[in-house]
Amino acid sequence: MIGQLWINGEWCRHDADPAAPLHRVLRENLGLTGSKDVCGEGFCGACLVQLDGAPIAACLVPVALAEGAQIVTIEGLDQDPVAQSLMAAMEAEDAVQCGMCFPGMVMTLTHLLKTCPTTDREKVKRALAGNICRCTGYERIVSAACRAAKDLVAADAQKVVA
Amino acid sequence: MNLKTPFPDPVFARRDAFDKLRGRTRYTVDEACQGHLQAYLLRADVASGEILRLDVSAARKMPGVRAVVTASDAPHRFGIGVADQRLFATGRVRYKGEPLAAIAADTLEQAKAAALAVDVVIRPLPAVFDMAGALASGAPLVHPDWATHEVLLETRGAGRGGNLAWESQVRRGDVDAAFSRPDVTIVESAFRVGRQIHMQLEPRAAIASYADGRLHLIASTQAPWTVKNVTARALGLSPARVRVTAPAVGGGFGAKYGCTIEPYAAALALACGKSVALVPSRAEEMLSCPCRENADILIRSAVTRDGRIAGREAVVLMDCGAYGGEQIYLTTMTAHTLGSSYRLEAVRLVSRAVYTNTAPNGAFRACNGVYNIFALESHTDEICQAIGMDPVEFRRRNVLGDGDLGSTGQVFQGDVLGPMLEKMSQMRSKGATLPSDDGRLYGRATTVGTWFVFVGPSAATVNLNPDGSATLVTAGVEIGQGTMMQSLPQIVAAELGLSPCDVVVHQADTDAAGFDVGVGGGRTTVSLGAAAVAACTEIRQKLLALAARLLQAPASELSLSQGRIDRVGHPGTGMTLASLAQEAMQITGPISGSGAFTRPGVAAMDGCAAGHFLEAVDIPVFAVHDCDVAVDPATGQVEVLRYRVVQDVGRALNPSAIHGQIQGGVVQGLGYALHEEVTLAEDGAFRQAGFGSYRIPLAQDVVPVEIELHEGAPSIGPWGAKGAGEVPILNVGAAIACAVSRAIGVRVQELPLTPPHVLALLQGRKPALQLHHPQDWPARPGTNPPHSTAAVSVAG
Repeated sequence: MIGQLWINGEWCRHDADPAAPLHRVLRENLGLTGSKDVCGEGFCGACLVQLDGAPIAACLVPVALAEGAQIVTIEGLDQDPVAQSLMAAMEAEDAVQCGMCFPGMVMTLTHLLKTCPTTDREKVKRALAGNICRCTGYERIVSAACRAAKDLVAADAQKVVA
Repeated sequence: MNLKTPFPDPVFARRDAFDKLRGRTRYTVDEACQGHLQAYLLRADVASGEILRLDVSAARKMPGVRAVVTASDAPHRFGIGVADQRLFATGRVRYKGEPLAAIAADTLEQAKAAALAVDVVIRPLPAVFDMAGALASGAPLVHPDWATHEVLLETRGAGRGGNLAWESQVRRGDVDAAFSRPDVTIVESAFRVGRQIHMQLEPRAAIASYADGRLHLIASTQAPWTVKNVTARALGLSPARVRVTAPAVGGGFGAKYGCTIEPYAAALALACGKSVALVPSRAEEMLSCPCRENADILIRSAVTRDGRIAGREAVVLMDCGAYGGEQIYLTTMTAHTLGSSYRLEAVRLVSRAVYTNTAPNGAFRACNGVYNIFALESHTDEICQAIGMDPVEFRRRNVLGDGDLGSTGQVFQGDVLGPMLEKMSQMRSKGATLPSDDGRLYGRATTVGTWFVFVGPSAATVNLNPDGSATLVTAGVEIGQGTMMQSLPQIVAAELGLSPCDVVVHQADTDAAGFDVGVGGGRTTVSLGAAAVAACTEIRQKLLALAARLLQAPASELSLSQGRIDRVGHPGTGMTLASLAQEAMQITGPISGSGAFTRPGVAAMDGCAAGHFLEAVDIPVFAVHDCDVAVDPATGQVEVLRYRVVQDVGRALNPSAIHGQIQGGVVQGLGYALHEEVTLAEDGAFRQAGFGSYRIPLAQDVVPVEIELHEGAPSIGPWGAKGAGEVPILNVGAAIACAVSRAIGVRVQELPLTPPHVLALLQGRKPALQLHHPQDWPARPGTNPPHSTAAVSVAG
């Protein structure tokens, strides 16, 4: 049986079992390995993707249920200006270590920055309740999100002035 | 190295961050998920038993199955101190989850289905799950044939026998006399800690292929050469026939320091000639994780009224699980963790690795140190209470200083811990006062700890390329710590007068790089860095000789800087390194250098250490941690309010990277101290099977760590550096336990301090810890273990 998914602005066909979890289809059938397979239970956030605009743990979604949804993976966030600003802030804060959790972190925090542009450390930490990092001790990730929020507000202000 | 010579580029961002953020980095698990056969391990479902039947013929006929391998395919024993392990349970099962067979199929589902078709009959045998049981008289032996195991590492005077996998001892001075003195107070303490699971996000993973008579393993490993050598030994191959490469590793923390899963993939690839990927699920990863070992620590000290430690003795029991592995080696560490930090007039330590029918333990960041420092610092606070001395004052008076002796009699150099304690008090005095009127109980503590750089042999090759860039080739692996991205290119750049951007670092490949012990023990920057410095020294000599000829100037008047070679004091008069490297093509051929490093061998005092693999430490590393906590008396919840670290780094080659390691290491330690808990079910398996049941710190659990780096302590490391990634976790359990103990006014003897545990302490419901080895006093080697302990002298 052939399934069809709308991912990062294009149709992708696959022959996976309709009950297979979405993250495994992304990784094993479609070669999109940016979403990581870490816990498979929805705890760690490493496999987060956007489903119709909201971040969701792909490991909890049977692939058939994702048909018809707009899926954006970490690979598709490359051109997103908010994600770009966040990723630049992550580099500026020297936040990255092993890197396995970061695609999921970027998914969660990009959504936070879009839905809550005036964020603060407490809000960022609450937003990260479903993202596990074992290397960094989180604080730099939080700093990067706050830095990106400021940068985005400043960029918006400039746009208004211009 | 004179600290006055500035290190050229201490600010250097990591080059792998851009791709890691975008999900572009290809970890082993990303390579594994497409285009390979998938492997699955059939594991025993009992903790101890005799294998009566293991018939895989039906499994071989299952759909998609390409290979099934069992004990007969890998009959050779391997291990770290003692060769006590085989790849598969052979005749006897020793822990629940021990592999019985490995299956490779077109899909993972097919491999799992085939595993169900294996006909297994195991007759259960008596099992022993805790160290008390294992050391009790008449206990069932995990290895009835222990005496036939080959001892692989030479030491003097180790003890072995029955369920005692290894015993090492330290004795210096007359401890009995110290404890008999009329002017001392004797303080005795007991501690117990459980296991800690790494929970690195990328599971262990391996892809094996076999071509042209050689195995190639792509592995998520910290130690490519260990994987190469152990795989070869387990499968009975020449190591020369095994190549190991290691892409970016998604976290290790010690879980990938040993060779654990790679040989299964290798055996399957050998059997079918196809490439085979083995990636355990999270649940499998946890049930077979080489955890930080659980341990029981009994310690007592004889202390004078003015706070001098006249004598100290301790017995440390370390659970190695069903096979000796790292724990045999780690018995050595007790001398340098529990036996360190303080001046001791006399000391006697016994450190025992004990077999149980549980999953084998392994290495975890600051192995052995984390719980021994918890025990030592808690014991120190108990001493202070007993003699009525301020805990910081006691530490000031007693910490090791210049010329003091460590437990094995090595002479420590430099006053390090004393000035670090002073820095910590200054840091504290600058902090704002915390509110403390909300009904919670408040406590704070300052703790000290000693760790060391596990140096050991490393090789490095540096090629100076015709474009003036350099390529560093080593077997070092980037596991997230940043060494391969930051300090190593920085060191090569500093040596050759380049920008670190112009230094390419080759990914680990045992076919390209010389031997290396592995990434662990805080050794990577030091050992690989020192080998890289040696390689660069050879390049410098070649460059200077060539330039002297071309520029008609004596080599002594030339210097390398900013990608150029010029006369000293006359920038711009010489030539670029690129043009010099191109000139070399016509005159000498391409320029390269090779370098090597190994431990220099600091001396211990003769006769102080028995059964030790390292009698003295070459580069000690010190840490001072301080924290404030608040305890909710209604719930037992501990909140960490502030956390401060002063860390001895020798020289900070990249302060930002070190701060990142400290924040991450402290948070990992907070998990250990407060909520990471492994418990055993009745069948000896872990009750925790995922992130839901094993609680590691989340963003809302953490505080920003206030950090000061202490520079200038003696170090033989490159540019005076010490390892900085291992030590941040060292004192955390200690600092939290001491602070909580002061907050609630009750002795803390066990970690983690979960809310139920703290509540039980507060309500007086927790009985004092009774350890099962009081008969060990005095801690004389070889007096206790049953089963006729043999004191073996391996080195003769």
